[in-house]
Amino acid sequence: MSATEETVKDIVVKIVHCDREVLTPTATFQDMKADSLDMVQVLVAIEDEFGIEIPDEDAQKFQNFGDFITYIEAKVAEKGNA
Amino acid sequence: MAGAKSRIRIAIDAMGGDYAPGEIVKGAVAAVEKDDDIEVILVGPTNTVEAELAKYDISRLPIRYVNSDDFIQEGEHPALAVRRKPNASIAVAIKMVKAREADALVAATATGAIVTSAIQFLGMINGIDRPVLGGPLTSLAPNTVILDLGVNVDCKPEHLLNFAIIGSVYARLFLNIANPTVALLNIGKEEGKGNKLTRETYPLLQKSGLNFIGNVEGNGIFTGQANVVVCDAFVGNTLFKFMEGGAEMIGNYFKDKANSYPMLSHLLKGKVKELMASLALPDSAGGGLIWGVDGIVMKMHGHSRAPDVTIKIAQAKMVVERDVVSCLKSELAKIRKHINL
Repeated sequence: MSATEETVKDIVVKIVHCDREVLTPTATFQDMKADSLDMVQVLVAIEDEFGIEIPDEDAQKFQNFGDFITYIEAKVAEKGNA
Repeated sequence: MAGAKSRIRIAIDAMGGDYAPGEIVKGAVAAVEKDDDIEVILVGPTNTVEAELAKYDISRLPIRYVNSDDFIQEGEHPALAVRRKPNASIAVAIKMVKAREADALVAATATGAIVTSAIQFLGMINGIDRPVLGGPLTSLAPNTVILDLGVNVDCKPEHLLNFAIIGSVYARLFLNIANPTVALLNIGKEEGKGNKLTRETYPLLQKSGLNFIGNVEGNGIFTGQANVVVCDAFVGNTLFKFMEGGAEMIGNYFKDKANSYPMLSHLLKGKVKELMASLALPDSAGGGLIWGVDGIVMKMHGHSRAPDVTIKIAQAKMVVERDVVSCLKSELAKIRKHINL
């Protein structure tokens, strides 16, 4: 598990109050019992933590937690290479 | 605070509410006419705001406007709309608070859009998960604060614990109650009553270190059985609107009876007015400060008219003067020493 994934899980658990074990690659946001305000808080916290921007058009495409992690890892790598 | 006279600067979403921009601008103009210590900054598309302001002589008034390219429209999903429209009037106005170009925001915009913008651009106060609306629900129980009256429809137990903490701070700050009692709104008094949310919240409140006195039923609100009553916004908002409708119905009932029975009307003269005054909803109900976000954000009813706007601007000034956000932070720090979070 990457450091990025660990950090994202920390953020999600703190904001959504879900169990860490729920956060599997196939878990949906419904599985996490996250509502729209949770999601806004998670997105804002992740943008702040990694210094990246997650446009809403991209955020709409995440099907599950795995997609979410893959996207953030790519964004963080992209930022590191810039 | 900037400006030669160091006025309190209130940003207003000129495009938010059922009667925006006309009634919002009218109420804002009246607010600065009434109180020279307030400066109002209207936020909305320049052409629209200018057209409204042209109806008044504002040449000597501390009122100005800031352009926003967009605004949140009726029916848009608030959380998504704010992220999609970073230059919507509500977002621009909240960013002004963040940048300290305004001391507070007042908006009749949809609650979801205000809350989402506030979370996104101001952030939450450390230790608070969710913004919340609350206050006394009825003048019959002025020392009972109910939270949440309108933000979080689906809650988790941790959210209700947050509301209990904020409610306790509210009771200390505004009601001068040193050790406010806290109760969970439920359908029975015994522990174990209620739905999953209330059953899971009970032990959290019990071990919180707050002055938790257990469950309170709906009828206990009127008798002021607790200083702070917590529930999710689905229940809180239903309760509030039931009260609003009930008070109106009772008023109409007495008016009808007075017309039908002039003698009764004569006997009750003055008493009905007294009764209605005691039933009247305090201004905090259905609007007021959005607690928990790191800045002063005041929500107005969506159907606010100009006089409501004027009142809410004056209240925003009072909240700024009392430095409520700093007070909440310092009260939270004090409470944290005694509660188990």
